[in-house]
Amino acid sequence: MKRTFPQKLFWLRISFLLMLISSVFALQSCYPGDDVSASDTDLIATFFDKEADFSTKLTYSMPDAIIRLDEDGNPVTDPGPNDQFAINRIKSNLGQAGFAELINPDSLTNVPDVLVIAFANQSTWVSGGCYSSWYSYYYPYYGWCYPVYYTYEIGTLLIAMVDPAESKNALWVAALNGILEDTNVSIQDRLNKGIDQAFEQSPYLYK
Amino acid sequence: MKIIKLKYWQMFAVFGLVLLMFGTSYSQKEQWYGACTYSVSFPSGDTKAFVEEISWRGIGLDYRYVIDRSYSVGLFFGWNVFYERAENKTTQTENGAITGTSDRTLNAFPIMANIHYYFGERKSIRPYVGLNAGGYIMNQRFETGVFAWEDDGWQWGVAPEAGVVIPVERDFGLMLNGKYNYAFTGESVFGTDINNSFWQVNVGVVWEP
Repeated sequence: MKRTFPQKLFWLRISFLLMLISSVFALQSCYPGDDVSASDTDLIATFFDKEADFSTKLTYSMPDAIIRLDEDGNPVTDPGPNDQFAINRIKSNLGQAGFAELINPDSLTNVPDVLVIAFANQSTWVSGGCYSSWYSYYYPYYGWCYPVYYTYEIGTLLIAMVDPAESKNALWVAALNGILEDTNVSIQDRLNKGIDQAFEQSPYLYK
Repeated sequence: MKIIKLKYWQMFAVFGLVLLMFGTSYSQKEQWYGACTYSVSFPSGDTKAFVEEISWRGIGLDYRYVIDRSYSVGLFFGWNVFYERAENKTTQTENGAITGTSDRTLNAFPIMANIHYYFGERKSIRPYVGLNAGGYIMNQRFETGVFAWEDDGWQWGVAPEAGVVIPVERDFGLMLNGKYNYAFTGESVFGTDINNSFWQVNVGVVWEP
C-alpha cells in the first residue's frame, strides 16, 4: 500500500518521540554502582533536644570507660584498645565547647549540669525507646530515651549527653556508625575526625 | 517519615496519555499542538542544598490548545532526575545533622496547566512567554551508609517560561525555552519545610497547527 506523506511523517514523529523517551529511561538507569568502600560507610549522626538550653550547661562528668551493650542493651565489661583514646578526644572537644569537667560527682553537693556517657554496641541494634537505670550506679540518673528511631551497626560509638536532674530524652546524642569495629591502623585518625565532626556539626553546644 | 517506592507506572501512564494526545493532535492539527523537549536543569535554593549537581536527565511533554493566533492554553508533564553522590557532606536534619558519603536523588514530575502568549505571525519564528501552574510529584531519597530516608509527595508550584518556536516545515518545528520552577509547598526527606526550585533549559520538537 502506498503511504501518503502525512502518514510517513506521523510515524517518523512517533518514532522520534519514543527515542526521546527511551533515552531518558536509559539515562535514568545510569546510577553509580554499589562500589562502597569502608570510608563510604562512615557516618556521623547527631541529634539534640530542641527544648534544651545548652548555654546553661556549664559542667559535665563522664565515666572513664566506654560501656559496651550486648544484644539486649545491657552493659558488659569488654574494653577496646582505643577506648581511652576516644574518651580523651571527647573530653577535649567538650572543653573546647566550654564545658568544665567535674571530678568525683555525687548526687547531693557535686552534681554536674550534664552527664556524658560513651558506649558502644556489640550487636546491630535498633533503637527508638528508652533505657532504664543500668548505669545509675555510676551516677544518680535513672535512664534516658533515644530521640529517634535508628539502626546502629556493630561497634557504633555513641556519645550521650543527659541531664541528671530530669529523666527524659537525652539532650544530645552523637553516633559514629560502626567505627569501633575497625581494626585498621587508621582507626585513631577516623576516631579523631569522627568525634571532632560530631561536635563541629553541633554548634549549639558551644558557649 | 513516609517510605514509598518510586511509582514509575504513574509516569508510564502519563507518557502513554500524552502519546495518545499527540496522535489526536495530528488529526486535529488546526487547534492543538504538542511538543516534546529534552531538559537540562540547574538546581537552586533548597533543591541545591540537597543536590548540587546539574540534572542532565529530563524530558517534557506539552499539549497546547490554541485559542487564537497569539494565545494557547495547555498541559505540561515532565520528568527531571537530580542525582549526586556527596562525600563527607553534612546535612541538617529536623533535630540534628548527618555527615558521611551520601547518595541523593530527586525525581521531579511537574504536572501543570499553562497559558502562553506568542509574538509574531504564524509560520514565522515566534518568541513566547507563559506561565505554568500546578505542582510536582517529588520523590526524594537520601542514602548514607546503610540507611535511607525517602519522601514522596505532591508540592504545589509555578513555572514561568519564556521561549521560541522555530518552524521547520508545514506543521513541524523546533522549540527552545527556559523555565524557573518553584514549589511553594514542600517537605524534605527529614521532615523539614523546604521550597524546591530549579532552572531549566529545554530544547525539542513541536507539532504546530
